[in-house]
Amino acid sequence: MTDEANKKGTGRTRRNFLAGTTALAGAALVGPAAARAEARKRNAKRGGTVRFGTRDDSVGLDTHRNFIYFVSHPLAALTGGLLDFDANMNIVPGIAASWESSKDLQTWTFKLRRGAEFHNGETVDANAVKWNLERIMDPKIGHSFTRSTLSDLAKVTVDDKYTVQCHLKNPSAAFDSNMTYYPVNLMAPGSVDTADTLPVGCGPFKFKSWKRFDTCELVRFENFWETDAEGNTLPYLDGVVGKPKKEDRVRLTALRTNEVDLIDNVAYADAPSFIKDYGKEYETFPVPQVGTAFIAFNLKNGPFSEKDNPDAQMLRTAAAHAIDHQAIHEAIFNNQGQIAKGFYSPSSPWYSKDAKSWPTYDPDKAKAMRKKAKDGDAKILIIANDSYPYMNQSGELVHAMLKDAGFNATFEIHPTPVIQDKYNKGAFDIDSSANSYRLDPDGWFSRSILSTAPETIRRHGYKNEKVDQLILAARVEANKAKRLQMYTDIETLINTDLPLIYTHFVPLLEAGTKKLHGYKPAFTGPFQYAGGGLRTAWMDR
Amino acid sequence: MLAYIIRRIAQLVPVLLVLTIVVFGFVELLPGNIIDTLIGTEGIDDPEVRKILEKEYGFDQPIYVRYVKWLYRAVQGEFGISLVTRRPVSLELLTGIPATVYLALVGITLSMLIAVPLGTIAAVRRNTAVDYTAQVTSLAGISIPEFWFAILCVLLFSLYLGWLPSSGYISPFDDFWGSLKFLILPAAAVGFRQAAFTTRLTRSSMLDEMSKEYVDTARSLGLSERKVIFKYTLRNAMIPTITISGLQLANLLGGTVVLESIFAWPGIGRAIFEAILQRDYPLVQAGVLVLGVIVVVMNLLVDLTYSYLNPRVKLR
Amino acid sequence: MSELEAPNLVVAGGSGGSRVLPASVGPMARLATALSNAWYELRKSRTASIGLVMLVLLFSACAATPWIATQNPIKQNYRERLQPPSEQHLLGTDRLGRDIYSRLLWGGRRLVTIALVAVAFGLAIGVPYGVLSGYYGGRVDTVAMRFVDGLLAFPGLLLYLLIVTLAREWKAEGVFNDLILIFALGFAFMPEVARLSRGSVLAEKQKEYVEASRAIGDGSLSIALRQILPNIISPLIVNATVRLGYVILIIAALSFLGLGTPPPTPDWGSDLSSARDYMETAPLIAAFPGLAICYTVLAFNLFGDGLRDILDPRLVER
Repeated sequence: MTDEANKKGTGRTRRNFLAGTTALAGAALVGPAAARAEARKRNAKRGGTVRFGTRDDSVGLDTHRNFIYFVSHPLAALTGGLLDFDANMNIVPGIAASWESSKDLQTWTFKLRRGAEFHNGETVDANAVKWNLERIMDPKIGHSFTRSTLSDLAKVTVDDKYTVQCHLKNPSAAFDSNMTYYPVNLMAPGSVDTADTLPVGCGPFKFKSWKRFDTCELVRFENFWETDAEGNTLPYLDGVVGKPKKEDRVRLTALRTNEVDLIDNVAYADAPSFIKDYGKEYETFPVPQVGTAFIAFNLKNGPFSEKDNPDAQMLRTAAAHAIDHQAIHEAIFNNQGQIAKGFYSPSSPWYSKDAKSWPTYDPDKAKAMRKKAKDGDAKILIIANDSYPYMNQSGELVHAMLKDAGFNATFEIHPTPVIQDKYNKGAFDIDSSANSYRLDPDGWFSRSILSTAPETIRRHGYKNEKVDQLILAARVEANKAKRLQMYTDIETLINTDLPLIYTHFVPLLEAGTKKLHGYKPAFTGPFQYAGGGLRTAWMDR
Repeated sequence: MLAYIIRRIAQLVPVLLVLTIVVFGFVELLPGNIIDTLIGTEGIDDPEVRKILEKEYGFDQPIYVRYVKWLYRAVQGEFGISLVTRRPVSLELLTGIPATVYLALVGITLSMLIAVPLGTIAAVRRNTAVDYTAQVTSLAGISIPEFWFAILCVLLFSLYLGWLPSSGYISPFDDFWGSLKFLILPAAAVGFRQAAFTTRLTRSSMLDEMSKEYVDTARSLGLSERKVIFKYTLRNAMIPTITISGLQLANLLGGTVVLESIFAWPGIGRAIFEAILQRDYPLVQAGVLVLGVIVVVMNLLVDLTYSYLNPRVKLR
Repeated sequence: MSELEAPNLVVAGGSGGSRVLPASVGPMARLATALSNAWYELRKSRTASIGLVMLVLLFSACAATPWIATQNPIKQNYRERLQPPSEQHLLGTDRLGRDIYSRLLWGGRRLVTIALVAVAFGLAIGVPYGVLSGYYGGRVDTVAMRFVDGLLAFPGLLLYLLIVTLAREWKAEGVFNDLILIFALGFAFMPEVARLSRGSVLAEKQKEYVEASRAIGDGSLSIALRQILPNIISPLIVNATVRLGYVILIIAALSFLGLGTPPPTPDWGSDLSSARDYMETAPLIAAFPGLAICYTVLAFNLFGDGLRDILDPRLVER
């Protein structure tokens, strides 16, 4: 979160907030026609095109098939979710102007904004939303990540043209957070045949062209629903040109030679010196947490598993004592961001500041415990994904630390398909990994900690009945303070049982020219948040 | 001659068959496949879903059936759809191959511009300091890890000197002169590397030519040394240099992966490399096949050109 | 000489050529003469002698590594990251506080060994393949060569990429990981060797001495091995020497693409590749492994190039 966001504070609870927005939405519903008539008022002074240098390129154009983890792919600007979030990570109206849940938290009703359109002129109505949700749930189409956010969804019904109801299998207080942009991106049902070549969404920018590994061009969507405080339509920009430049050094050079106006992923090694040496000439935008890095143990089999080793818990504790978090903070992240003791960072309203920490760094204790534990000399395989430098560099460091504590560890780096294969076969002992940010804590705990969640089963296999009960109870708890306490208790249990050891909040530094104004990235990147990001940016001409 | 060409073309068929079988086999043996990726870590590993997906992507059939089916379609020019981008593979090839060919072609041309003068002067001043300097210079180019060299070039020419853009690509068909600006750095990186080989070749074929009788005859007729070298020897010595450059060109089509990645050049090498990592079988297979065809056809053309330019070489 | 010994003979030639082989018959003696001539000629070619001096330095450093390295190459100390050269760390420390000097030495020792063994392996499978194919000719030759042509039709790095992507997934630990890399690099060298040795065999087959030995009833295989092999060695030596440098560059390129040796094993390629992040803030940590690669590849190239001049009969006469 940026500084301004922190100042605002996170006092309001979601329930209060919901009430507020519902009232507001009521007002919006009264006057869509009027709004429409005087709409399309543009701030003529603001415009321009941003050339955006990104580390990665999208892999495809169909928003339901592809996982837009890298939300800074310019293509992410094409789509929008049912709901947006604001700078404080609160959920705010998007395509849906208001929403509410039934008392039992099993039915969620979304009232759509009138006048919202897809880029091809189709109306974003209840049928379109239903069609989108159903398409995402189709295992032949929806990406697993996206699909998993809807795993609770039993069916979608259309009440009227602008009212859509989601009926859940299990009660969930967090379902609305799953309706935000990424995971749920809406595309025009009429464009389904061209989804892979000419995507049509309802986001702030329209698709113009995409050349893989080269360029993607987007132009302003004139009929985007959002307006600024003066009633001018957003976005201001005439267009965005995406320029994927994989090599960190080249991307940074491109910014400094005025080939691009904005870049993502300034390498951690460069971040402090760039801010120091170039802070006057360039804007830097710290995005403090886009995810949380951790190392997970394989609890399904091997020396860290209770099944195969009665001393597994002691061995995991020994490993935890061997890990020097400060070293990871300094050597991998170059003092950017913060050490993680739970999944949510202090910039999130769900930060569990009272959770008990993992065992602290104590190499002697680590050695002693490892020696005492059964299988302390067993061979241990550490794996890391090759696509994210911080993951494999953390793995490298953890490997060295465990070696120092006498563990017989080896380290391997693999591309995603191989990592998947190793998860499926349980052919690893420690996984240096990370998870991208989930707006609502249920998104993390229900999907990656709950013992019945597919990801839990596949990756670490953690099972603690107490934790499961807490997760399920928190899911239906409406009081935010109580809920936070439950999650704090869960983090304490995790840091004691050690199915995984949180290591670091993953920071991201973006940098741009001084010509770029009104820009501030959200935690998921530059695009989808209400009243911010590239929606409110403009360029000097 | 015609019979020779026909026989050579007939020989290409088994070569390409071997190529495709090897690729198919390799890709099959790679652990982890697209189905696992589609199911992902968060999806429920439901056997039903897996079956649906396997059927959707054709993995329910044994490998030889898939191979024959693929081959049957490939022969007709149908390469299917990329499993990752879901666009036609032919589209990916049509964007990637021209970019790489453009880079390789200009790179080779640059390498000739460096190598021919260097090789000639090395031959003419054989075993002198000039010769050694020329040889070491050309060898230096091939001794530097290319990604390091490329990044150093970017830092020097873009960042510090500000002469050239750091990276990017403009298609020469869209804007020829505009595209050159982006081409210079990567092409120079290609050229500098290839120059080592070409210099050596030029030097030795110059030495070859210079030892021939006609050179002595020309000299005895009172022609100036300069004229002898430029008018006769160099011209003949260029024959192997030019033809070998054809082979280098073909080989470069899959050899610029690293440079494409650094210079954000949307070439076919990088596309195939990413496809290998993502297990995007149709793109890997089609890409290697098409590049393989280009390589073998280039080889054939080189042989024919060589025999045309140098009639003493008999084609059998 | 039996069939099995044949590869060894070539390996010995390929990895330096200084080993004196038991001279049994004429060709062996000829080889010995060729080698001693080569030694004499070597001093005449300046490139070859410079290359040789560089190589001698390199090999001595590799051999002496356990004694001249000052620190544990994989010992991290993040409190001493990115240090400039000092008495304690002769070339400074890298991004994880490891001693660059010691990493260079251990990495070089490993890299040079891998390159040598990989090239030897390529020769060991390529030479018999090419020689037998060329000698028997006919259908055997056609089939064998189509396979080689198929592999050669992979442009550039692609064959390496496929083989290495596949090979690195094989279960292996420690040294065996290096063996897999060796296999991949050696196998990809095989087609070229096979082509080259087949070509030489075809050329030699026409010559009188082969005809002559056939006339006196020598078995065909023994002709292939005894008569022809020694005569095709010189182009192979040259090719293999240049290849050694190339293999090192390939390893570096694979590291850049993320297919290199996993850390913390000291490896010039992956050290250089991961030093990219610091090329502006601490350029020295990239410079040392980069220069080490340049030095080694240049040494092999100079030596190989010089050898080519010396061994090429057309050039020797002049």
